[in-house]
Amino acid sequence: MTWLGRLLRRNRVERQLDAELRDHLERLTNDYRRSGLSEQEARRRARLEFGGLEQVKEECRDVRGTRWLDEIGQDLRYGLRLLRQSPAFTLVAVASLALGIGANSAIFALVDDVLLKSLPVREPQRLILLDDGSWTNPIWEQVRARQFEFSDGAAAWSDVRFDLSRAGATEFVEGLWTNGSFFDVLGVPAVLGRTFTVADDDRGGGPDGPVAVISYAFWQRQFGGEAAVIGRTLTLDRTPFTIIGVTPPSFLGPSQGRSFDVAVPLGTQAIVRGPRNWLDARSTWVLTIIARLKPGQTAEQATLALRGIQPQIRAATLPQEWPPPMLDQYLRDALTFVPAAAGPRDFRTRYEQPLWIIMAVVVMVLLIACANIANLMMARAAGRRHELTMRLALGASRFRIARQLLVESLLLAGLGAIFGLLFAQWGSQTIVRQLSTPRSTVALDLTLDWRVVGFTALVAIVTALLFGVAPALRIRGVDPNDALKEQGRAFAGEGRRPLGTPLLVVQVALTLVLVMAAGLFVRTFGKLATLDIGLDKGAVLVVDVDVSRTVVSPEARLNLFERVRAAAAAVPGVAGAGLSLITPVSGSGWNGPVEQPDRPDLPPRQRMTFLNSATPGWFTTYGTKLRAGRDFDAADAVGAPAVAIANETFIRRYVKGNPLGQTVRFERGPQGVKPVQIVGVVQDAAYRAVRDPIPPVLYLPLTQAQAEENPTRLSLSVRAATGSPVLLTKSLAAAITEVDPDLSLTFRPLAAFVDGALVRERLLAMLSGFFGGLALLLAGIGLYGMTSYSVNRRRAEIGIRMALGARSSRVVALMFRRIAWPIALGLVAGGALSWWASRYVTTLLYDLDARDPVTFIGASVFLCAVSAVAAWLPARRAARIDPARVLREA
Amino acid sequence: MTTLKSDLPQGTLDLLILKVVALGPLHGYAIAQRLQQISRDVVQVPQGSLYPALHRLENRSLLVAEWKLSDTGRDAKFYRLTRKGRAFMQEETNSWHRLTAAVGLILDAAEGEAS
Repeated sequence: MTWLGRLLRRNRVERQLDAELRDHLERLTNDYRRSGLSEQEARRRARLEFGGLEQVKEECRDVRGTRWLDEIGQDLRYGLRLLRQSPAFTLVAVASLALGIGANSAIFALVDDVLLKSLPVREPQRLILLDDGSWTNPIWEQVRARQFEFSDGAAAWSDVRFDLSRAGATEFVEGLWTNGSFFDVLGVPAVLGRTFTVADDDRGGGPDGPVAVISYAFWQRQFGGEAAVIGRTLTLDRTPFTIIGVTPPSFLGPSQGRSFDVAVPLGTQAIVRGPRNWLDARSTWVLTIIARLKPGQTAEQATLALRGIQPQIRAATLPQEWPPPMLDQYLRDALTFVPAAAGPRDFRTRYEQPLWIIMAVVVMVLLIACANIANLMMARAAGRRHELTMRLALGASRFRIARQLLVESLLLAGLGAIFGLLFAQWGSQTIVRQLSTPRSTVALDLTLDWRVVGFTALVAIVTALLFGVAPALRIRGVDPNDALKEQGRAFAGEGRRPLGTPLLVVQVALTLVLVMAAGLFVRTFGKLATLDIGLDKGAVLVVDVDVSRTVVSPEARLNLFERVRAAAAAVPGVAGAGLSLITPVSGSGWNGPVEQPDRPDLPPRQRMTFLNSATPGWFTTYGTKLRAGRDFDAADAVGAPAVAIANETFIRRYVKGNPLGQTVRFERGPQGVKPVQIVGVVQDAAYRAVRDPIPPVLYLPLTQAQAEENPTRLSLSVRAATGSPVLLTKSLAAAITEVDPDLSLTFRPLAAFVDGALVRERLLAMLSGFFGGLALLLAGIGLYGMTSYSVNRRRAEIGIRMALGARSSRVVALMFRRIAWPIALGLVAGGALSWWASRYVTTLLYDLDARDPVTFIGASVFLCAVSAVAAWLPARRAARIDPARVLREA
Repeated sequence: MTTLKSDLPQGTLDLLILKVVALGPLHGYAIAQRLQQISRDVVQVPQGSLYPALHRLENRSLLVAEWKLSDTGRDAKFYRLTRKGRAFMQEETNSWHRLTAAVGLILDAAEGEAS
C-alpha cells in the first residue's frame, strides 16, 4: 500500500481499527460477565486489563506509519486557518506567487515546445534534414530516385497558402505541398481515411485524381469533425480536391511554429498552377527535404552515402540560366544531413536566444517574489514568536514547529501554483498570438501537458523551500525561556537579528538587472519602430491583387492591373496608388548579380543586387524621396530604351561618377545579361527586412516587363490622403471589384508588415518591460513591508526619541538609513550582474551597447526613486507617532 | 497472577504470536486467550499491547488479515500466517533455541564453578 493510498483509505483503516479493538473489549467483558461479575464490574475489569483504547490506537497508527500523515493534516488545517486570519498577507503572497510561478510555467511551455520537444511522429530521433535549407523540385526528384541508397526513405514538402474561396473574398488556409510518401516517412498515420500513396503524387494527380489530407484542427473547424468528410470536395486555388484523410490531433505539421490545414501532393501543382508550376524550375528553392535514418545509421553515415551520389544529383539539375562561376559553386556545394528530431530549425534558431533570456527573466522575477514572501513570513514568524516559544516551552519539538512553518509555505506555493497555471495558460497563448505576422500565423501546441504541470509543481516546491526555509531555520535560535521574558520588553528594538537585509540586497540586485534589460529591449524596439526606413508606414495600404481567377489572357494582364490602379487612384481620400511586383518588408525578394566592369573578379554573391518592378508614382505613394533624375513615366514603354532607378546604396557600391545616364548590366533569368540606363536615384528604403542594413536595389519600370513574366499577382499600394489607410478598404474593394468582379483581393496595411518584421523585438520589449515593471512593483512592496515592519517594532523607541526632542525629519532619516546600505549594495551587485549578463543580449540589441551607461544610470535612478517612495510612506507614519501615546502604552 | 510484560525479551512477543497463529486463523482476542492458556498463565501480555504487534506483523507481510463472520455473529478480524511469516517463524525459532541453549550452558557452567 502506498502512502497516498493509505491517506485516501485512512478513514476505512481508522474504522476497522476501532471495530477490531472494540470487538476485543466486548469479548473480554463477556467473559468476565460469564464468570459471574456484575455488568459494571465486568466492564471495569476489561477496560483495566486492555489498557487505554486511544493509546493502543495511537501505537497501532505509529506502527502503520500514518501518524505523520495525520499530523500533516493537522498542520494543513492549522495553516489554512492562519491564512484565512490574515487575508491581506495571503492575497499579496498568493498573487505574487501566482504571477511568478505562472510566468515561469508560461515561458516554460514555450521553451518546452520550441526548444525541447521533438516532432510528434514515430521515432523522431531517426529524422535527418538535408542541410537545413531549401531545394528545388528537380533536386528532390533526383534524391527521391536514390533515397534508399542513403536512408530508409526521404520526404519533401513546401509551405504554401491556398485560397479556399470559390468566389468573392479570399479565404486563406495554410497548406503543404508534400511528396507521396511524406506521411509514411514521418510516421504519421491517418485517424480517418488514409494518407497519400506514391501514386497520388503523379503529375496531374494519381488514380483518384487530385486528393488532399486535412489536419485534425481543420477538420474540426471547417467540417465540425464529421466523419462523412472523406470523399468531400475542397476547392484550393480554384482547383477541386477530394479529401481522403485526416491526420492525428498531435501532428501540427512538419515545421515548428507553423500548423497546416491542408496537404496536397506535389504532383497536383501541375493542375493548380498550370504552366506556372515550379516542378521543373531548377532555381526555385522552395522544398525542405527530410529523411529517415536506417536503424543504427548516423547522420554522418547518411551524409557520406549521399555525397557518393552527389555529382549525379547536381549534374542532372544544373540551373541552365546561371552564369558559369555560379554553376561551379553549385556543383561544389557539399550536401549534408543534420539531425532533425524537431524538424527544421529556423523557428527554433530565431526564438532560441529570446526564449532563454525571457526564461532567465521570469526566474529572477520569481526569486524576487520569493525574497518578498520570505521577508513577510519572517515578519509573521517574529510576530508569532510568543506563540512559537510557548509551544516549545510546552514540549513541541523544534522539528515539528519548523515543519509546521514549511507546510504553511507549501500551502502558499500550492495556491500560487494553481492560480499560476491559469495565468500561464492565458499568458502563453497571448505570447503566441503576438508572434503571428501577416505572412505567417504562428501555431504551437500549448495544451496543458504533464511536462508543464510537473514543471509547475517542481517550481512551487522549490519556491516554498526558498522562502520557507529561512523562517523555519530561525526557530533554531528561539529559546523557550524567552516566551515569558520577552513579554515585558516593550522598548525592544529589532534585536540582534534585523530582518531580511541580505534578501533586500538580492532583491535590489535582481530588480536592477531586470529593469536594465527592460530598458535595453524597450529602447531597441523604440529605435527600430521609429527608424526612418524610407517608407511612410502609417499612410499606405497594401492590396494583393490576384487575377488568376479571371478569364483575362496573359497579355492583357498588365492592362487589367493598370485599370485596377487607376480605379484605386480615383477613390476619394486616396492620395496616390502604384503597383509593384514585390511588397516592401513583406519578406519576399528577388535578386540577381550585377556586372561590375571594374571588378570582374568578384564572385557573384558579392555582386548581388535586389530588384523590384514598379509603376510611375510608386515612390511617391510610399513617400520614398527621389534624390536625382526622374521617376518612371508613360514613355518608359516596351520598345523604348530600358531604364532603371537605383537606390543610394546601389550607386555607392557599384557606380562611379554621376550615375544618371550610366548603363548597368545585370544577369536576369533566361534572357541573360540585360543593360539598363539609370534615369533616377531614390532614397534608401527598406526592402525585405527592417533591421538589416538596406541592400543595393534596382527598380525597373513595370511597363517594360517582359511578356513572359506577366505575373498573376501584383501588389497595389495605396496612399491615404489623411487618416488611417485601413479606412479606405471598403471603398477600394468596391472600386476594384467594379473593374473585374473575379479579382482576388487581400488588404493589409503596410504597418502590419513592418510590425511583422519586428515581432521578435516587440515580444522581447513587451515581456521584459512587463516583467521589469513587475519586479519593480514586487521590490517596492517588499521594501514597503520591511520598513512598515521595522516602524512597528520600533514604535516605542521612536516615541521616546521624539519625546526627547528628535525632529520628524530625523526620524525619517533614521528609517531611511536602515535601508540605504542594502540598496546601495544591491545596486553594485546588480550592476556587476548586468555587466556579466550583457554578453547574452548584445546580438538582440539595435544601435545600443549592452552596457549602455544611459540605460544603466536611468535604471538605477528609477529603482532608487521607487525604493524611496516605498520606504517613505511608512517612514512618514513613523514621524507622525505621538510620543505621549507611546509612553502611555509602555 | 504475575505480569511478565517487562520480562518478555524484545521481539519475543512477535515470535509467540506467529507460533499461535500458525495453528490456524485467529482473531485478536483468541490469540490473547491462547497465549495465556498455552503458557499456563505465565506469559500474560497486557491485552492492548497485542495490537501494535499484530499490526506490525501485518505491515511486514508476515501475517495477513481478513474480516470474517465470527461466533458472536459479527465480523471479526482474523489473522493468518503467510508463507513469508512461516519462514520467518522457523528462522526465529531456531535462533531462539540456539540462544536459550547457549544461555543455559553459560548459566549451568557458572553454577558449577561457584559450588
